[in-house]
Amino acid sequence: MTTATLPDGLDHAGLVELYRQVVTIRAAELRLRRHVEEVGFGGFWHPGIGQEGLQAAAVAAMEPRDRLFYAHRGLGYAYAKGMSLDLLFGDLLGRVTGSTRGKGGGTVHFADPELGVMGQGGTLGSNFVLGAGTAVASQLLGDGRVTVVFFGDGAAARGTFHEAGLQAAVWKLPLVWVCENNGWAISAPIAEQSPTRDIADRAAAYGVPGVVVNGQDPLAVFAAAHEAVARARAGEGPTLVEAKTLRIRGHFEGDRQPYRDDLTNPDEIPDDPVPKLRALLGDDGRADALDEGARAEVEEAFDRALAAERPDPSVVLRDVWADG
Amino acid sequence: MGGRVMAALSYARAINAALAEEMRRDERVWMMGQDVGRMGGVFGVTRGLMEEFGALRVRDTTINETFIVGGAAGAALAGTIPVVELQFADFLFTAGDEVFHKLAKWRYMHGGAFEMPVTLRLPTGLVGGAGAEHSQSLEAFGMHVPGLKVVLPATPADAKGLLKTAIRDRDPVLFFEHKGLYRVKGEVPDGDDVLVPFGQAAVVRPGADLTVVATGLMVGRALEAAQALAAEGIELEVIDPRTLVPLDMETILASVERTGRALVVHEAVRTAGAGAEIAAQISERAFFALDAPVWRLGALDTPIPQDPELEQLVIPNVDAIAGAARELRAL
Repeated sequence: MTTATLPDGLDHAGLVELYRQVVTIRAAELRLRRHVEEVGFGGFWHPGIGQEGLQAAAVAAMEPRDRLFYAHRGLGYAYAKGMSLDLLFGDLLGRVTGSTRGKGGGTVHFADPELGVMGQGGTLGSNFVLGAGTAVASQLLGDGRVTVVFFGDGAAARGTFHEAGLQAAVWKLPLVWVCENNGWAISAPIAEQSPTRDIADRAAAYGVPGVVVNGQDPLAVFAAAHEAVARARAGEGPTLVEAKTLRIRGHFEGDRQPYRDDLTNPDEIPDDPVPKLRALLGDDGRADALDEGARAEVEEAFDRALAAERPDPSVVLRDVWADG
Repeated sequence: MGGRVMAALSYARAINAALAEEMRRDERVWMMGQDVGRMGGVFGVTRGLMEEFGALRVRDTTINETFIVGGAAGAALAGTIPVVELQFADFLFTAGDEVFHKLAKWRYMHGGAFEMPVTLRLPTGLVGGAGAEHSQSLEAFGMHVPGLKVVLPATPADAKGLLKTAIRDRDPVLFFEHKGLYRVKGEVPDGDDVLVPFGQAAVVRPGADLTVVATGLMVGRALEAAQALAAEGIELEVIDPRTLVPLDMETILASVERTGRALVVHEAVRTAGAGAEIAAQISERAFFALDAPVWRLGALDTPIPQDPELEQLVIPNVDAIAGAARELRAL
């Protein structure tokens, strides 16, 4: 048993599950990276390596009925919300087994409304207004659901951030914004993108709380997200949580990043959340079993995705309209 | 609709009645937009609705088109049926990403996992000195992006029946209400379930000599031109497609097969307007029935001037329609 103090809302079983998710997401990210290196696929795969801890921890603070809009870096959110690796890899590889039935290959639009995975727009920052909209629906229906919108520091520059922020604050919508500030908007460093060091400062303009946490510390992220979700559910309105993290890889997998001079060994993740969580589990050998299980689950799911069929060409005309 | 009780309603009141009926029928239906609640809309269309349905279901927004449309998209994904108003159709451009990407493509991009039952009410066309950014007719933009339905009612009855269909439709609908028609009265059938289906053109005047396909404000002007020409012995058949997506080409083609001539009239800029598409389809599909080329009338290739007299020079008037029909008939 761990002797660490866990934040409100997270018990030891929750911690074990969080660790399992994080190591599974890490293994999935690494498997995708290997695939990119082996077959050259991936101009549109935006790796989330190093950000798995914050993604899974923020999702752990949500209830199953809650909804999320994810950012484009990684698959951690969707996996943590309950989507299977078969669906996610199926989407990434453009197979009929994906959640988009073969339409989401390469750049991704994972979705499962039942699980509250609400999809993603191809235009950065478009999720702000859609997420405010699902929160309006919850307020109208009184369904008690909270919407969490994940986004990067780059996307925070969009006008949609302001338009959604203003309206959501005025209407006290059940909404949480989680900014994954990794310091880079493609090739532009945060210092050139923001006049303030913290994106969370912008919360003050809307009269809502802005919280900064270490994004490499899953327990800190969980604690902040848990409080924000509770506040949203209680009708007190949105919160902006900013998790400081790092972009280990390029903007997309294969980006050689000539614009960066802070590159280190890509296999070393500074302030890595995985060993941090592992240390909390204690020394009962469970972590080894979880690691091994995660690797096996990922390999098997990836092989199944590779073996699955590509969609029939008729798919291009499907789903334009509700009746076809 | 024979046998139904009819009431004389203005186009604006007909829209208001459709909104009220649909909100009473289904509590998932709700509205938002700038000034739609307390004020009742800049054109008075939503008057009384906040009083009946409350400020949660009839919401006054900030000046915030990306949220109005994008928020409606999100609310639709989450199981409600939003009807939102942009004060002027021109603001489609201020919410361009939300209209043309999110409403139009969200279902498709996600493999059909979501529904997008959003109705976007768009006051369109000339209103009398509203200027270049408040007077445009932008329906062709909706036609050019797959995933959007495009509706242009020309009468109070169609405004009510088409809006009710739009609200019940599971796809996003751009509903272009003509500002110049809001005060025009007409017979509107009573009944909560009197719907006008999409994709069914109306032959608003039968005639043997020439087919005129007109939309929006131009339907009335085409009818006036038809009356004038009837005195000269020329019988125009006037067809209002009512919805451009889906587009009822069958009714138009059947008419052209009989008349051998077609003139398409709209208030939007002629270049690359909806008329170009309709004319092209007539040429492709009814070429051997044609005795003359298909002609188009539309606005001049210029922004709309602000001056109320100058602006009228930009769009087709009754004389221009009659003149074009007369010339085309003589070819």
